[in-house]
Amino acid sequence: MRVFNRIVVILLLAGLFVLGVYAVVYSLNLFGYRLGDLPRALGLSGLYGGLQTFVGNAEDGSLSVLAVIILVSIAVVGLILLIAELKPPTPRLVRMHSGTYITRGTVADEVVEAAEQTPGVLGTSSRVKARRRPGAQVDLEARVRRGEDNSAIQSDLRRSVRERLAQRGVPVSKLNVRLREVDPRQARTRVQ
Amino acid sequence: MAGELLLARAAAQAALATEGVYSMGRGRYVEAATYEGSEKVSGVVVNPEEVEIHIVARYPLPKPIPEIARSIMERVAPQAGDRRTVVVVEDLEVTAT
Repeated sequence: MRVFNRIVVILLLAGLFVLGVYAVVYSLNLFGYRLGDLPRALGLSGLYGGLQTFVGNAEDGSLSVLAVIILVSIAVVGLILLIAELKPPTPRLVRMHSGTYITRGTVADEVVEAAEQTPGVLGTSSRVKARRRPGAQVDLEARVRRGEDNSAIQSDLRRSVRERLAQRGVPVSKLNVRLREVDPRQARTRVQ
Repeated sequence: MAGELLLARAAAQAALATEGVYSMGRGRYVEAATYEGSEKVSGVVVNPEEVEIHIVARYPLPKPIPEIARSIMERVAPQAGDRRTVVVVEDLEVTAT
C-alpha cells in the first residue's frame, strides 16, 4: 500500500501544481489570459453539461447500466482500499516472546539446515512469515527423488524442523511442508 | 540526547558481555544505531519508550535464544530505567568450537 499511496499522492500533487499554475496565470492576466476564459480553456462547460445529465438521470432513477457498473466498481475499489489501509502492516521480525525478536532470514536458514539433514531430501527452499503473535509461519519446499516414501519424509521433515527451532527457542505457529519430486540429476544434492 | 548515547553505549557493552552474543547487529532494513553529533553507537536504538538491542548470536548456541535475550535484558535493565528492552536477533554466526 505504501507504493500505491505514494503514486496517488504524487499524481494528486502534480495535478494540484498544474491547476495552481493555471490559476496564477489566469488570475494575474498573464500572457493575455483572463480568468473569465478559464472555464472554456478547461472545457468545464462540457463537464457541467455531463454532470447535469448524470444528476438528472440519477434523480429520475434512469441511470444507464454502464453508469451503475462504474458507480458500484468505484464503491468496491474504495472499500478494498479502505480495508487495505486500515489493516496493520505485517511485521518484519518474528516475535519469539515478550521483547525478543529474530529476523526471518535467520529462521529460514535454520529451517533449511534442519531440512537438508533429513534423509531423502535432495534440496530445500523455505519462506518465513512473521506474525503479530509469537511464532513464525514456515513454508518449506523439499525436493525428493521419485518413488520415495513421501509421507515418511514429510513427517521426518516436520519433526527435524520443529526440534531444531525449539532448541533455538524459536516458536513455530504454522509449518507447511510441500514435497516436490525431481530428477536427482537436477538437484543440488543427488544422494542423501 | 547525551543520556541516550550513554545508555546506548552501556547497552551495547552489556550485550557484548553476555554469553552467546557474537557481535552487535547493524539492522536489516534500516540501520540500527543511536546518533548524537558525530558519534554513533551501532546495534542499539534508544527512544523514549524503549531500548532496542540488535545482536548476532554465536553458534552453536550456549543456551536457547530466549535465555540469551533474557540475560541481555537483565544486564541492560538497570540503565534502561522505565524503558522497555527489546532484543532483535539478526543472525547466527558460526564459530569454531
